[in-house]
Amino acid sequence: MTTLLEFAALGLGLGAVYIGLSTGLLLVYRATGIINFAQGAMAMWGAYVFARVQDDGELVLPIGTIWFPEPPGTAVALLVGLANAVVLGVLAHYLVFRPVRRAPALAQVVVSIGLMVALQALAVIRFGPNSIQVESILPTGSIELLGATVPLRELTMVAIMIVLAAAVWAYLRLTASGRATRAASENERGAVLMGFSPDRLALIALVLASLVSTMAVVMGGSLTGLSPANYTLLVVPALAVVLIARLESIGLAVAGAIGLGIIQSELSLLATRSWWPQWAQSGLDQVLPFLLVMIILFAFGKRLPARGSLQSVRLPDVVVPRFVPWKAALLVGIAVACLVFFTPSYRFGLTTSLIIAILALSYVVITGYLGQISLAQSAFAGAAGFALSKLTTAWDVPFPIAIVVCATLAAALGMLVALPAFRIRGVQLAIVTIAAALAIERFVFDNYSLTPPTGNPIGRPTLFGIDFAIREGRNLARLEFSLMVLAILVLMVLLFVRIARGDTGRAFLAVRANERAAASVGIDVRRTKLIGFGLSAFIAGVAGCLIGYSRGELSAESFSVVVGLSVLAVAYLGGITSFGGALVAGVLGPLGLVYTALHSVFDMGNAYPLITGIGLILTAVLNPSGIAGETRHQVEWVKRKLRSGRAAPPAAADAAPAPVPAEKPRETTGV
Amino acid sequence: MSEPRAGLHTTSLTVRYGGVVANADISLSVEPGQVVGLIGPNGAGKTTFVDAVTGFTACTGSVELDGQSLDGLPPHRRRALGLTRTWQSGELFGNLTVAENILVAARPGGAGALWRDVFGRRDAAGKAVVGRALDAVGLTGVAGTLARDLTLGQQKLVGVARALAGTCRLLLLDEPAAGLDSNESLEFAERVRSIAAQGPGVLLIDHDMSLVLGVCDVVCVLEFGKPIFTGPPAVARTDPAVVAAYLGAPMETVDA
Repeated sequence: MTTLLEFAALGLGLGAVYIGLSTGLLLVYRATGIINFAQGAMAMWGAYVFARVQDDGELVLPIGTIWFPEPPGTAVALLVGLANAVVLGVLAHYLVFRPVRRAPALAQVVVSIGLMVALQALAVIRFGPNSIQVESILPTGSIELLGATVPLRELTMVAIMIVLAAAVWAYLRLTASGRATRAASENERGAVLMGFSPDRLALIALVLASLVSTMAVVMGGSLTGLSPANYTLLVVPALAVVLIARLESIGLAVAGAIGLGIIQSELSLLATRSWWPQWAQSGLDQVLPFLLVMIILFAFGKRLPARGSLQSVRLPDVVVPRFVPWKAALLVGIAVACLVFFTPSYRFGLTTSLIIAILALSYVVITGYLGQISLAQSAFAGAAGFALSKLTTAWDVPFPIAIVVCATLAAALGMLVALPAFRIRGVQLAIVTIAAALAIERFVFDNYSLTPPTGNPIGRPTLFGIDFAIREGRNLARLEFSLMVLAILVLMVLLFVRIARGDTGRAFLAVRANERAAASVGIDVRRTKLIGFGLSAFIAGVAGCLIGYSRGELSAESFSVVVGLSVLAVAYLGGITSFGGALVAGVLGPLGLVYTALHSVFDMGNAYPLITGIGLILTAVLNPSGIAGETRHQVEWVKRKLRSGRAAPPAAADAAPAPVPAEKPRETTGV
Repeated sequence: MSEPRAGLHTTSLTVRYGGVVANADISLSVEPGQVVGLIGPNGAGKTTFVDAVTGFTACTGSVELDGQSLDGLPPHRRRALGLTRTWQSGELFGNLTVAENILVAARPGGAGALWRDVFGRRDAAGKAVVGRALDAVGLTGVAGTLARDLTLGQQKLVGVARALAGTCRLLLLDEPAAGLDSNESLEFAERVRSIAAQGPGVLLIDHDMSLVLGVCDVVCVLEFGKPIFTGPPAVARTDPAVVAAYLGAPMETVDA
């Protein structure tokens, strides 16, 4: 009993951090209708700044550093850290969220994920990838309570966060602009008519949210240390809390945050007991929020408030793909030539690009065609990859069959994740899928009793006596492997084109456009979603197997949530609605061709994720159809101009029907 | 029950939204080949009735098509059995062409379709389906146009064509003529008659009284969710309850 109480008290620290993050999420959501996946990353930045100023008087800016003559003390450091939080809130408003305030849910999710990826990458560059210690600003010592020793630090933390959350509550309840924020979240037009600028309300909300969350992470960092990864992803359990609060109530959020913190702490206590199964010890802290999210969305999904906005912008265009043999032959020929003549490092880069193109293709299916936001594609890929390790080493399943089996397994997992998509869509689905991905990553991939830390080797792929393995002696990028990957990519694109042009692709687009009308013309919307999730997870699974073969041995890092988000970033950059976009994404993707080329010219270190993050934000803001879409618009514009001799401005939003009926650009409203 | 009855039959269909009764105890029949009009003032529950029959709104009572009970079936299953509808607001798939809007209704996907897409051969049967459906509503030259680029009137007609694709045993038209001018409206009345002549029963909701009274075999008048009259149009024009509830004045003066 005493131990239970002590662990409950320890859980208060985590609960306090959840209060800060979920209050921030809630405030931003009320003011803008956007779920800010970067809430944790934003808070982490200010906390890092605080820690470094406090530690050695070094004020680290995104670029450059200012030195205090001597470490200025905790109070000044805290002020500097919070000032950073304010600036970050203002910048996030003007540069990131304001431009997409009328965009479809997909663009809003993507832009906040871009911010999250960029901030995390910037933190790695500026503060290093490892965890740093943070000196506590809180009183040490403890008090005796019911026979248990309860640390003062956690108690103070949770008290401070409750006070701050109450302040946010008071802002929303008692001030005119707070009331207008609440009104605007019900009806933006109404707020405008009342003379409030939703824009200014959003600015205030972002700054306040950034402040409250940063304060929480500053204190939380002194308990756990700061690392770029842990607080960035702490947004996921905080999202579970926000859903507990039904996206509305600060009071419920505070209660939920404390409850979740305590339960997680108690679970970690229970997991040390002898009767607790060994295989279920890893990642419990992420499984619980995921289960919570699932339960809440299943119970209340339909009744969670949706936001009435002034207008919405169309989703990126979709072009029904055509298979043009000479173009395909030309592309394949170029790829083969490059693979043959490239140096090993470039060959490896191009091969990685081909694999990422397959993974990006899975996003094209699920998001571009079916209109569902899935952030779990890397988990599907990883599940297939780890299954491949088991299948090829323990059971000696031969090469091409093993891929099919593992990808089918991924498809089954995908269909399981599709179940919540029956009830919910848009940003709520994004929350479920990122929670699922994180739970799978922590519970399965990081679980040493399932995936031993000694390594997960993968058998050499051979077919008809030809060895397709990537390594042979000192050759680290064998041509045979690359050609095999190319062949599989071609196969996947063919599969995609056939499906996208057929009845299934048409049904996907109908569901994306209008689920109600789709049901009224006889489309089984649920089954269509199951097929879409299964198909996209299958394609992701194939990519996961190839990632496995290309590494020879698997590690959880290859399939982390952050890797999945980076691939989403390049998939969106390339153009989420066409296989051409997937190919562009492959070229741009992490460790791909562009990365290899840039890396050979100058040492980028960790700058690449930063560049993709910023690129993602810019794409979502400026050009929702992505690079491939933009190129197509330019080409169409030139064609039209040549035909008619009359100039029209090329625009990303140009929705004029193309001259060739089979190449009509399409778009739709609302995901 | 003895013989399976052809056509659509609702028995005591009732829809409640909270405490509000939107449809009260509606028993209505549409025989094959028959055109039945459903009229009533705004808010009388006409669209609610269509939603309930097609499975988009929960209701009590029973709905039966060609002797088969539809109770508890989801909308897409009802559609597969031949109960098709159009929407007041069009609800086309704006990102698909007109031809694809019709084709997707004729072949709504599924596991078998996935298999055919991947391993089967392309066929040209789809073209014929699209052609027939567009002919039935008299639209030409728009098959390759994106649905969202059509005029409102055209969108309504494509909605009807979409409802005719595939199996159609009973057609529910929710204000199909809104957005058509009076000539188009007359033409549309002809098309409704010829659609019904080919077999399916038609339930027509519209505000255009000359269309409804001119084309229907039977009209049903709703007021506050309750049917207050069911019978031939000629009788409806002069029925005192109908006149008081809906028309406000005898029909002759409205027509004039």
